[in-house]
This record gives sequence, structure tokens and C-alpha cells, in this order.
Amino acid sequence: MFFKDKNYFELFSIPASFQVDTRELTDSYRQLQSRFHPDRVAGGSEQERLRSVQATSLLNEAYETLKSPQKRAAYLLSLRGVDVEQVSQDDLSPDLLMEQIELREQLEELPRDESALDTLESLRERVTSRQEQGQQKFADALTAEDLETARKNYYEMQYFAKLSTEIESLEEDLLGY
Amino acid sequence: MALLQIAEPGGKPAKAPRKRAVGIDLGTTNSLVAASCGDKVETLPDENGSHLLPSAVRYQAADEAPQVGQSALDEAVNDPLNTVISVKRFLGKTLAEIHRANPYLPYDFSGDDDGSQPLIWTAAGDRNPMEVSAEILRVLAKRAEKFLSGPIDGAVITVPAYFNDTQRQQTRDAARLAEINVLRLLNEPTAAAVAYGLDSGDEGNVVVFDLGGGTFDVSVLSLEKGVFQVLATGGDTSLGGDDFDHALADWILQQADNGESLDPSQRNTLLRIARQAKHALTDRHSAAVQFGNWRGTIDRETFADLVKQLTDKTVNACRRVLRDAGFRSADIDYVVLVGGATRMPVIRQRVQEFFQREPLADIDPDKVVAIGAGIQADVLAGNKSGDDFLLLDVNPLSLGIETVGELVEKIIPRNTTIPVAKAQEFTTFKDGQTAMMIHVVQGERELVSDCRSLARFELRGIPPMAAGAAKVRVTFQVDADGLLSVSATETATGTTAEIQVKPSYGLSGEEIENMLKSSQEHAREDMQTRALQEAKVEAQQILDALAGALQSDGHLLNDDETEQIGRAVTALESALEGQDSGVIHELTEKLNAATAEFAARRMDREISRALRGESISTMADK
Repeated sequence: MFFKDKNYFELFSIPASFQVDTRELTDSYRQLQSRFHPDRVAGGSEQERLRSVQATSLLNEAYETLKSPQKRAAYLLSLRGVDVEQVSQDDLSPDLLMEQIELREQLEELPRDESALDTLESLRERVTSRQEQGQQKFADALTAEDLETARKNYYEMQYFAKLSTEIESLEEDLLGY
Repeated sequence: MALLQIAEPGGKPAKAPRKRAVGIDLGTTNSLVAASCGDKVETLPDENGSHLLPSAVRYQAADEAPQVGQSALDEAVNDPLNTVISVKRFLGKTLAEIHRANPYLPYDFSGDDDGSQPLIWTAAGDRNPMEVSAEILRVLAKRAEKFLSGPIDGAVITVPAYFNDTQRQQTRDAARLAEINVLRLLNEPTAAAVAYGLDSGDEGNVVVFDLGGGTFDVSVLSLEKGVFQVLATGGDTSLGGDDFDHALADWILQQADNGESLDPSQRNTLLRIARQAKHALTDRHSAAVQFGNWRGTIDRETFADLVKQLTDKTVNACRRVLRDAGFRSADIDYVVLVGGATRMPVIRQRVQEFFQREPLADIDPDKVVAIGAGIQADVLAGNKSGDDFLLLDVNPLSLGIETVGELVEKIIPRNTTIPVAKAQEFTTFKDGQTAMMIHVVQGERELVSDCRSLARFELRGIPPMAAGAAKVRVTFQVDADGLLSVSATETATGTTAEIQVKPSYGLSGEEIENMLKSSQEHAREDMQTRALQEAKVEAQQILDALAGALQSDGHLLNDDETEQIGRAVTALESALEGQDSGVIHELTEKLNAATAEFAARRMDREISRALRGESISTMADK
């Protein structure tokens, strides 16, 4: 009964906003896991164990969603009936597109050896700061219930998140993982 | 058993008896078993006092039980083909993978390169790696039974955190063959963290660096308020102390410059020499080496250079796992070393350099994993409340599905906390398509061919529709053991669909049956021994309890009755000198019958005492 009809924020008893106190979220997550984890019902019936696996799978899904700024943003939009899976051309501002193209070109032009590492590092810093800006804009738009702007900000965040992952991948490759 | 279990009238019911739960570290080089001794969990020694059981199995004739442990290992030089060592390196691997990772194996392998079960030819017949592993598990189970005076109820068996699904399934199958009830497959670094964490009570971010004989794991965990949460894990299931031995062996061979190739027996001799030199370098700066006619010395620096490629691999894995966890090395509070191979000075040095702190090895690096497993076993068996701690582990490798173009669509990314369930919808490719082949793979790469195939899954009975109209929902569920199960349903029309899952590796129920039957030839002996042991233990308990009861209440019996009981006792005592469990059972029953009246009288007397308000003495029992 604990899990019925609760959204992820309610599960963890934290306010449903983009700003999340990760400390609070993690403490709540761990307490709930302590209660529902399969290891706690090791001696129980088959049914109890199955329910426990389902419960903790849900907890893990919820925690993962709320922990990641990207997923949290998408989730908050979905709670307001906004589906972010369907992207249309209007969602992407021309300035943003230009910036993306420029950054990608920079990335592509880098030599594939260790001399690129410093440039990569500063690229990563730049992308991270744009990500943070995007997140701030998203939070503001959401508070103002301006869902259209929030949606656009979400895609902005997505772009930079993807770029950040690519930069990391490249760094890993160059460092020889 | 009225003689033993009379509780005070109106008193508390007897506490549920402790389950016999153990932790088993099934290692590449050595295996251990641990159980609760009083309030601590400790590893159990054999009759010679050794805690470590070398993971070596030597097969002789087909109708003889194989030798396991030190006695087998001692024969590795003389009988290399029949003495299987480091079998853990072969679990879950195809023949091609085994040969690639281990170029110097003396064994005669058979089986298809594409992946059907690799078999090792031995004097007792072909054996697969699960059967060999089961022999080791059997010995450990027996050791535990002796210590715990009875068959074990369950075991937590550890696996490298980086073991994939097939390797885990095969470890499980090995336990089934050994007739051990597996409570949990526990990741080795997590087990070590539990042992270490509970011992020290420390909190913070911990890196467990686990270098065993054949596998390497590195995990990042956060320990806080009794919750051990794995944040990321990485490693290499084909990297271990053995590889360091081989590197040194190759160097010695080069120095000795004899140019001939070695036969398996000579190779094993050389490996033994290399291993001894490696061990010597732990305590001394340089070591003398002799092979054939060649004599020389190896020092720590030279050794470190020799193995640089190997140590680099471990450091790179540390880098990657830190990134996965979102940490820098400065964020780490403790580094714990696990596994005998971490005794090497070169390893300690490189770990210290990378993490900029002194690594800890307070708990014996050989025993810490088994101890952690034993602690978890008590929790899962219900012996401990488990309020003290909770383990949250992750899946080490991404799980996905093959999609059009032989690409992989990741469904559950690596380092996701388990248990976890994720569903994904797929659709048909062609008009009128009524079946779907779902190919489940594990790995980080983009192409299916670069990942490990786990299972092929056929979903039939999809109603014929236009391409893209059917909605097939595939659900992946990873349980707390890190094992995957996949199910699929067609949701568009709500019709139920037939599911056929064919694991690419792992054993079918029938295959396990057959293997069990063939192992039962030896097991029958074992079972008889076990039955005898159990009968003797039971009989002795009853005799002891009776002796106590007669001492305090013998006056309740008349002379005839005393004599009759005495005869039954003598008969049972002499049967205990023999080896016939059937006779012992029979005589135990006779003794119970002979003392039933005595027990009833004692009970009456206790009750009337209670009614008169006198103190009640509890019956003599263990």
C-alpha cells in the first residue's frame, strides 16, 4: 500500500521541484531500501520476496530519475502532462543549433592524441557551465509554470548533456581505457 | 524426543533453531568457507589447521573420487593433464576465449569454438568447469558440516563483481551440482567491504581493490549508517596473480635461454618456481631463482617493469570506475586491498600512487571475502536481524537487445543499482510478422558481435498486423543476485503469447540431472558417510541427555525399568562404534521407546511441582 498512487517525489517525501536536496533524497532512499529490500524478507514467502523485488526495483528507478538533473526535468514535465519524447523543429532555437554545430566542429577537429586533453578539459568546463545555465532557466520557467519555455530549456539541457558525455568518451579513449 | 524438549508450562516457546549458514569464497587459487563462531564470523580450517583450500582438483580413475586441495596441487607437476587448477578462469567462457586468455594450458579441451560447453579431458572422463568447481564446493561444504554438526541450510557464494551473467549462472549451477542451497551470489568487493566496514565501523567512500589469482575487481562504495551502497564497479575477469606468475615465468625462460619448448610438466615446475620467487619479493628486495641449469636473481624493480602492462590495466580500471561513480581520487576516504595478489609490493605501490593514500589491509586479504559472505549468510538465513546493515549492489555490465542492423539497444546500463526492472517496447519489422526473435546481450559495445550473447528469446503468436503496429513489451528484471530474467508480452491486442527462452550458455534442467546422476556414483559414498554421521550425532545427543536425566531423576524408575533402559543404552553405545547407520537408527528408536514412560513421569512431576508453586528445573539438554 505504501507505493500506491505516489509519484517519485512523494515516495521520498521531498518537495516536487527541480531543486532537490540530494542529501535528503539519498537519506530517504536508503531508509526505504532498508525497509523493503529483498534481503529483509529473506525468510519470507515467495510472494513476499517477489513483492519486495518489485518494490525495490521501483525505488531504484525513482531514485535514478530524481538524482539525474536531466531525468528529473523530464519527469517534472511529464507530471504536468508534457511529453518530451516528441521533439519538433520549433523546440530548438537557431542560436542553440549554431552553438551546437560550432562545438561539435571543435570536437571533431581535435587531434586524436594526448595533446588534445587540455582543450578537451576547457571544452568540458564550457559545456558544463552552459548546462548549469540551462538548468537554472528550466527551474525558473517551471516555477512560473511556463511549460513552453521549460520544454525548450529541457532540450537545451539535453544537448549539452549529450555533448558532455561525448567529450568524456573522447577523453576516456585518449587516456586509453 | 520428549526427553529433550520440555518447555516450562506457560513459558516462552523455544527460539527457532539457528540455521547453518555459511559464506564461501570460491577463488581462482584458493577457496575458503566461513561461519559464525560465537559472535564473530571466522573461516573454518581443515584437520591440519589450514584455512585455505587450494582450488585444485585431480582426477584419477573413473570410479574414484577426485583429490581436492593441497594434495591435488602437489601433483600438478607430476600429473598436469589430470590436475585442474584455476578452474574459475574457465567458468562461463567459450573454448576460444579460454585459449585466448590462457595460452599455456596443459589441458586437453574439447567442445565447439562457438560456445557449447568446453570440456576438459581427465582420467575419469570429460569434465566441464562446473563439475570441477562442484568438487571444490563439496569439500568446503563437508568441512562446514563437520564444524556445524549437520548439513548446511544455505550458503552465500561470492563471485567477482565483474562476472557476467553466464559466469554467474555457471557458478550457481556448480553449487546445484554440489547440492548446496545458494542464498545469494555476492560480489567479492562488496563482501570485503562488509567485513571491513562492520569491523571498523568507519563511514565514507571506499574503494575495494580486489586482485585474486585469476580475476580483478575494483569497486567504489559508500558506507553510511549501515548502508553499503556500491556506486560503480569495474575490472577484468581474466587478470590476476596467475598472470604475474606467467610474466615472471616467461622472463626466467628467456634468461635461462634454453630455447626449447617446455612440456606441461616442465611448465608447471617453472610456474611454481616463478610463484615462489614472486612471493619471496614480498618480503625481500631481491630473490634467487634457479631453473634447470640457470641461476640468477630477480629484484623488485625488474619485476615491476616486467608486469607494467598488467599493473597499468588495474590502474586504468581504477580511473574508469572513479569516473563512473562521479568521483575524483581525492573524494575517496579509504582504499581496501583484497586478494592474496595484493601482497605484491608493486601493487601496493601503484595503488598508493594513484589514490595518494596508504591502502589498508587490516583484515587478512585472503580471508576477508569469505568472512563478509558468512556475515551476509547469517542475515539471509534469518540468524541475524540484518538491522545492522544493508547491501545495495549494482550490475557490472550493460544489458541490451539486438536491434535492426546488428546493433545493441541498451536497456539497463552498467552500474545500475539492483534489483531493477526496465521495460522497452518493440515492434514488428514486416507486415504480417507473427514472431519475434529477441536476442539479449551483455556488454558496453555498439555492435552485437562485440558483446556477449546471453539468451535468445522467441515470442510467438503475435497477431498478424501491419509492420510497426504490434506493441511488444519486453521486460528485463535483474534480481539481487545480479541474474537476469526476461519476459515479453504483446500488448496491442492483449493476446497472450508463447515464450521460449533458450540460454546461450548455462545448463538446462536435464543437463544438470544427468551430471548429478553421474556424480552420484561418488556422492553415494558421500551420502552414506553423511547419513552415518547424522545418525551418530543424533544418538549421542540422546544418550547425553538421558545420562543427565537419570542422574537427577533416576529414582523415578524401578529396578526392572532401570535395567531395561540400561540394556538399550549399551546396545546403542556399541552400535556407535560401528559403521551401520541403519542399526544405529533402529537402536535409537528402541531407546526412545524404552524411555518414553520415564519422560512422562518426569513431566508429571514437573507439572505437579508447578501447580504446588515450586521452582521448575528445565530438562537437561544441550
